[in-house]
Amino acid sequence: MTTATASHDDHHHGPEKGLMRWVKTTNHKDIGSLYMWFAFIMLLIGGALAMGIRAELLAPGMQLMEPQFFNSLTTMHGLIMVFGAIMPAFVGLGNWLIPMMVGAPDMALPRMNNWSFWILPFAGGILLSTFFMEGGAPAFGWTFYAPLSTTFAPDSTDFFIFAVHLLGFSSIMGAINIIATVLNMRAPEMKLMDMPLFVWTWLITSFLLIGAMPVLAGAVTMMLTDRNFGTAFFDATGGGDPVMFQHIFWFFGHPEVYIMILPAFGVVSHIIPTFARKPLFGYSSMVYATASIAFLSYIVWAHHMFLTGMPVAGELYFMYATMLIAVPTGVKVFNWISTMWRGSMTFEAPMLWAVSFVFLFTIGGFSGLMLGIAPADIQYHDTYFVVAHFHYVLVTGALWSIIAATFYWLPKWTGKMYNEGLAKVHFWWAIISVNVLFFPQHFLGLAGMPRRIPDYSLQFADFNYISSIGGFAFGASFILLTYIIIDCVRNGKPAEARPWPSAKGLEWTLEPKAQYHSFNTPPSRKLIEQESQNS
Amino acid sequence: MTGVVAVIIIIAILVALGVGLIGMIKGGKSGSDKMFKSLVVRVSLSVLLFILVMFSGYMGWITPNAIMVDAPVISTPEKND
Amino acid sequence: MSEQEYYVPHGTYWPIIGSIGVSTLFVGFANQMHGVEWGASVMALGLAITVFMMFGWFGQVVNESTNGMYNKQVDRSFRWGMSWFIFSEVMFFAAFFGALFYARALSVPWLGGADNNIFTPDLWNAFSASWHQMAFLAPGTELQSGTTMSFPAVPEGLTIENATPADVVDPWGLPALNTALLLASGVTLTYAHHALRAGHRNQIIGWLVATIALGVAFLGFQIMEYSHAYADGLKMTTGIYGSTFYMLTGFHGFHVTVGAIMLTVILYRVQKGHFDADNHFGFEGVAWYWHFVDVVWLGLFVFVYWL
Repeated sequence: MTTATASHDDHHHGPEKGLMRWVKTTNHKDIGSLYMWFAFIMLLIGGALAMGIRAELLAPGMQLMEPQFFNSLTTMHGLIMVFGAIMPAFVGLGNWLIPMMVGAPDMALPRMNNWSFWILPFAGGILLSTFFMEGGAPAFGWTFYAPLSTTFAPDSTDFFIFAVHLLGFSSIMGAINIIATVLNMRAPEMKLMDMPLFVWTWLITSFLLIGAMPVLAGAVTMMLTDRNFGTAFFDATGGGDPVMFQHIFWFFGHPEVYIMILPAFGVVSHIIPTFARKPLFGYSSMVYATASIAFLSYIVWAHHMFLTGMPVAGELYFMYATMLIAVPTGVKVFNWISTMWRGSMTFEAPMLWAVSFVFLFTIGGFSGLMLGIAPADIQYHDTYFVVAHFHYVLVTGALWSIIAATFYWLPKWTGKMYNEGLAKVHFWWAIISVNVLFFPQHFLGLAGMPRRIPDYSLQFADFNYISSIGGFAFGASFILLTYIIIDCVRNGKPAEARPWPSAKGLEWTLEPKAQYHSFNTPPSRKLIEQESQNS
Repeated sequence: MTGVVAVIIIIAILVALGVGLIGMIKGGKSGSDKMFKSLVVRVSLSVLLFILVMFSGYMGWITPNAIMVDAPVISTPEKND
Repeated sequence: MSEQEYYVPHGTYWPIIGSIGVSTLFVGFANQMHGVEWGASVMALGLAITVFMMFGWFGQVVNESTNGMYNKQVDRSFRWGMSWFIFSEVMFFAAFFGALFYARALSVPWLGGADNNIFTPDLWNAFSASWHQMAFLAPGTELQSGTTMSFPAVPEGLTIENATPADVVDPWGLPALNTALLLASGVTLTYAHHALRAGHRNQIIGWLVATIALGVAFLGFQIMEYSHAYADGLKMTTGIYGSTFYMLTGFHGFHVTVGAIMLTVILYRVQKGHFDADNHFGFEGVAWYWHFVDVVWLGLFVFVYWL
């Protein structure tokens, strides 16, 4: 490593003025904020679509919309939440936090960093514009299985394909940047095993992104040529196979779900030690568990496809490999619990979100384990049980950790404190409503209600009604969240440099509102050791 | 047989290419040397592979796309070597 | 710039120009495919903006580099960036190779009735699980199940009895020549690399020109190969072999084109004296890219044409 000690003279500059600051910026904090706001807006749009879904499902019978439009809603809700909300939010967190956490002034490739954000609004715009096209938005589910997405899809699918290409470029560039930052811009005195867990989990996530996103690009490219140039990749009449699409898609798709949860693990591993006032239990086992989960995520993809007529040997392999993931994940959950064990716990808003993450994510993990059992999956497949499962891991897992991270680091981002009382009200509102929303869906699924369907039999009416009420309440909770954040930015009380006294990490050694370029001189070995989670 | 050898050589080529990449990331004099040497290895192996495949084809040890040529219509394709 | 300083560039317009260019390109392309008349021109405009962005952006980086604004740390960031970009390319090709292997090992034999797919004879009674043409059926042939084959492609006078794969894709002709050309370009590039490390600028230029010429010759023969294949009836629409054949060779050809352009830029920079024996990451990155494209072709030659 170089012994970098001073910033270039030209770069003791603050932000530029006006709107162009945001377009031209090469600053990791500006870009991080752009990512976070983009993700938040997409979250609200995706949430609005979900409200449409729950309104249709409030009562049996066709209520509000055509079935085709309902299918568009489920499809676009999934795509927007996965590619528009959760992934950009984590990249935004990574942008904001990683340079501060590794003692760097900025990201390694700042101009490319700008591009990886500024592709997103264009991609998001193209994706949303499909709603206004003839034939409607894509309506084949977020997994866009062939032949629904090739032979039977609306014309707007080609726009969707290009939007996915653009989102893929953005993710790959973001991941390359994070790898280069962590491995090259890290403070010279910081060893790999000194790195905070959020940095570790993001580093490993970056490898997943670079391995998985190009495969998705390949899949949608084959879709594009199947649709427009007469190739036969996913068409059995030409010797191809629709099931091949599923293999390629899930080779991307399974790492993708870990892309959305590994950084969440990192966030929670920061918050729990802070509010339990104990060092993180088992730092190195956390790192190794993350790496094992990442590795395993590449070799379990076909557990999404138990019903496609795989050879039995294949089903057994994918089932056992899937079970294996429970081991490193269990290591993590037990480490968090051990961190809390006999700690002096307090429950500020970030901690509430983090503790409920551990509890609710574990529920989602267990239902995933149930789905991973091949013979049982024959019953659960494509039912609301699956919907309940992935919403427990993605909403009360990934999204929960993003909200937790927002409250935890908001003082560092804005230099101001949020309203703790309102934040607690918001938390209890959200956690009660989200369980009213998703828990009954387990019962619906076990009773046999299929997913992605606008109408259902009468016996499902009560639970759907409860679920929809929970859904509306959960949706409304985001109005309060918006208010809390804007209130913090505009009227918050000044925060201290280290608002959580027992928090560890280099970012807390910066000014209350972190300066524009984080570390112009790399932190000393002593400081790094003091702030290390691995001690 | 040729197929197995070809796959082994391709894997070796990929390894050489990967070592070259590591050398490139490392940079500096030693990295540059490492990169150059491994790329020489990869070019040599590639030439070897080309000669092997063409010679095997010439000798009739392999037929182009043999795996799919003799597949009988509507029955289990026989295992080709 | 000294080793003690971090380099953080000023704000830049290139990324937003790039985003506008690439999305214009894609929107134009999608409209073009749907038969909208302005599609092609919008596509061309998007491509022009994208190319403008690349020259402007990379040109700025080259200028900053030759003006000594970068230090070893920046250099290393570029190395990491380039390496992982290439890895993402590897994974992109892996998807198409995966499709080829899947079709060859699983989907085509299964359609032909392999393993226990007992329904196959009923569904696909006229199906021949052969590789190149997939189905030697007249267009619209009625199958037992009442569906029609949508992938008819029968060259004149060719029947299932007399067809061999070599009828369409003969590895002895152009493909062998093209492989030889690309391998030779790998050798000449290695010589150029050697000359650069030894500091012989005139030799570098000679070997680089040879490399680019071989690459361009490869592309020319590839176009000939395509026109032969199309004339002989191997098309993108002739089933899974045609699909994988054109997808793999097409994307490979695209990468050769990009590589040749990058080599030309490097040639220009060598003439300008941007590199010396110790400091030539631009050259190394492009060289590695070229070697990678070369290896992809070897994989193609072995798996698409031979095995």
